[in-house]
Amino acid sequence: MSARLDPRLAASTAADADLVAMLTELFEDYRTERPAPREVVDLDPDLWQQLDQLGLTRLTAPESSGGSGASWFDGAALLGLAAAAGAPAPLLEHGFLAAWLLDEAGLPNDGALRTVCRPDPAGTALNVTYGRDASGVVTLFEDGEQWRVADVPAGRATIRQGRNLAGEPCDTVEFDLDDLSAGALVTSEVGEQFHLRGALARSAQVCGGLERIVQVVVAHVREREQFGRPIGRFQAVQRLVADIAAEASLARAATDTAVARAAASDWADPGLLFAVGVAKSCTGHAASVVVRNAHQALGAIGTTLEHELHVLTKPVLARRSEFGSIHEWDETLTRLATSAGHERLWSLITTGRAGPHH
Amino acid sequence: MTLTLMPPVVSEGPALTELRLQVRAFLDEQIADGRFVSHVDTWLTRWDRDFTRELGRRGWLGMTIPPEYGGHGRTFLERFVVTEELLVVGAPVAAQWIADRQIGPSLLRYGTQEQKQAYLPGIARGEVVFGIGMSEPDSGSDLASVRTRGERVEGGWRVTGTKVWTSGAHEADAFFALARTAPLDPAHRHEGLSQFIVDLHAPGIEIRPIISMGGDHHFNEVHLGGVFIPDDRVLGEVGEGWRQVTSELGYERSGPERFLSTYQLLAEAASAMGEGRLPQDVGLGRQVARVAALHQLSFAVSTALEAHADADTAAAVVKVLGTSTEGDIADYVDMLTATGWVEDEDLYRLLHAAIIQRPGFTLRGGTNEILRGVIARGLGLR
Repeated sequence: MSARLDPRLAASTAADADLVAMLTELFEDYRTERPAPREVVDLDPDLWQQLDQLGLTRLTAPESSGGSGASWFDGAALLGLAAAAGAPAPLLEHGFLAAWLLDEAGLPNDGALRTVCRPDPAGTALNVTYGRDASGVVTLFEDGEQWRVADVPAGRATIRQGRNLAGEPCDTVEFDLDDLSAGALVTSEVGEQFHLRGALARSAQVCGGLERIVQVVVAHVREREQFGRPIGRFQAVQRLVADIAAEASLARAATDTAVARAAASDWADPGLLFAVGVAKSCTGHAASVVVRNAHQALGAIGTTLEHELHVLTKPVLARRSEFGSIHEWDETLTRLATSAGHERLWSLITTGRAGPHH
Repeated sequence: MTLTLMPPVVSEGPALTELRLQVRAFLDEQIADGRFVSHVDTWLTRWDRDFTRELGRRGWLGMTIPPEYGGHGRTFLERFVVTEELLVVGAPVAAQWIADRQIGPSLLRYGTQEQKQAYLPGIARGEVVFGIGMSEPDSGSDLASVRTRGERVEGGWRVTGTKVWTSGAHEADAFFALARTAPLDPAHRHEGLSQFIVDLHAPGIEIRPIISMGGDHHFNEVHLGGVFIPDDRVLGEVGEGWRQVTSELGYERSGPERFLSTYQLLAEAASAMGEGRLPQDVGLGRQVARVAALHQLSFAVSTALEAHADADTAAAVVKVLGTSTEGDIADYVDMLTATGWVEDEDLYRLLHAAIIQRPGFTLRGGTNEILRGVIARGLGLR
């Protein structure tokens, strides 16, 4: 279809088809062969090594710094498909944020596993996913008026282990303030973009998770029989499923739109704050409906440890609240909408920018 | 991903953005000149034949009709941005809506050369106004149960029956009526239906108003008392009515009128909240986000339709989400307001109308219950 698009009218936002086919197969294999679900999720070193060999751990980082130089279309596809497979890998932390920060700061990157965080003024960072597994932690530190990026070796930080709702490694990391202040200076735009990049990458993961949940639900209601027929034949169940398919579609449209804006402008589009907000809001609210209806459709079977469903629903809920809660993003959108006002709201909705007053 | 319910989103190209700005500049002028007052749900409730003719003069009606039939040979994407701009300012577009949205495309696809020449130039000029005659007193969601019947007579058909919910029939020139032209076969209920092009001024037509709960007259009951329809006013093939009617549903269900009916209220609420006339509440951002995502989703479906892809399920998704959202906006703003109308304030004028119109949003053009069935079928559940 995209081949027939006239670029003056509409431009495709699709990821590279060969890459998507490769990723689909890779994560299908992982999903079918992974160990049985447990209450905790740990880094899978074999998977990480495989991803690294394929050039996927730093997919969107520039080739000049050891990345694969792919677009964010491709990057979002990677995050979504990995999340759909419940793959325990810090792709976002290592490949999308740490690698980008090091590059922005002009610091070398040897490719060893890193995670990323924004320590508070006292030098403490909460909720550092995969902190314990990283050889180094890339920090974005607001040092007075200035922003600094440092590559702190894991051995120089104190790591207190924790787990998030999804059972993933989610640690508290305490840094020596001198290490943070010794970081390279970056512009304040880097600080703002960090939040946007993280939020959009989490949305891409949540979308992938939601879509896999819809598949699991569809397969279940077509197979599971009660009263002598598949439960998917009942209108009450069809309603549950139709609504989650619709919500997941809306989340996908919102997320892909923001990804397209990011990719087309290399993150320079001033409309990205709005676009990322729309993605976060739509995916976050979609997650409420999808998780609720999916568990309802799967019945008690879906609440057990051995079932795949919680491997998907728990990360969806954990991730939707990262890089800004849903409330925080709805608040941002409300602020943008009220300052646009009646006359300029439509411009905000279609371009992400309110434009000048009439 | 592997969930292929929806076509991928696409970015709007520069030619479309330019067209948007042209339409917007024209509409700004019209509003400044007091040519119309913005309102909600204007594609059903606001008729202004002069305004419609003006759009025709500017080439913004019948955009997808080829020039040899008086149209402009443009794409559905160009039509999409024009209709969006018209809807967001709450312009009076009801007179053109049915003809521009579905009568034109149906005539192009199924009409004879003579029918196309007879109607399409008038539609593109905004001079010919059409309605739709599908539902009946006993046939709503179950459309195949229509009882209006066409009997073969010399030179044509004699059509007898009653159609309901025909919006604007009292102002329209003609409508498409779906009728049974062969006895109902319970095993093949969708066979034996045909579409007729009916002149609403013909002898035997009686149009009675159906007054809506707000006291307005938009809908009608159209009684066909043995109306003679000549053979040259059969649309498409006799017996193919069901396929003809359902083949155009993608356009009817996925367009921007399915999520923008209350846009004027949302925009006014944004101003009111900014000025402290409504309390600060993050629900506004949530609704704005949904409208923004629906704008993308609806555009994506238009792009798929332009490429002749099958988009029935995708259109149903847009309509379920969009009509729910536009109704939720009315309820959301209502919950932010205290009792007591301030009648001369735009916010209350728009809110009042939105609350009254809301129940219709999720009914017209296929109820959301029927559409969820369409989605379920698309997912392989039935």
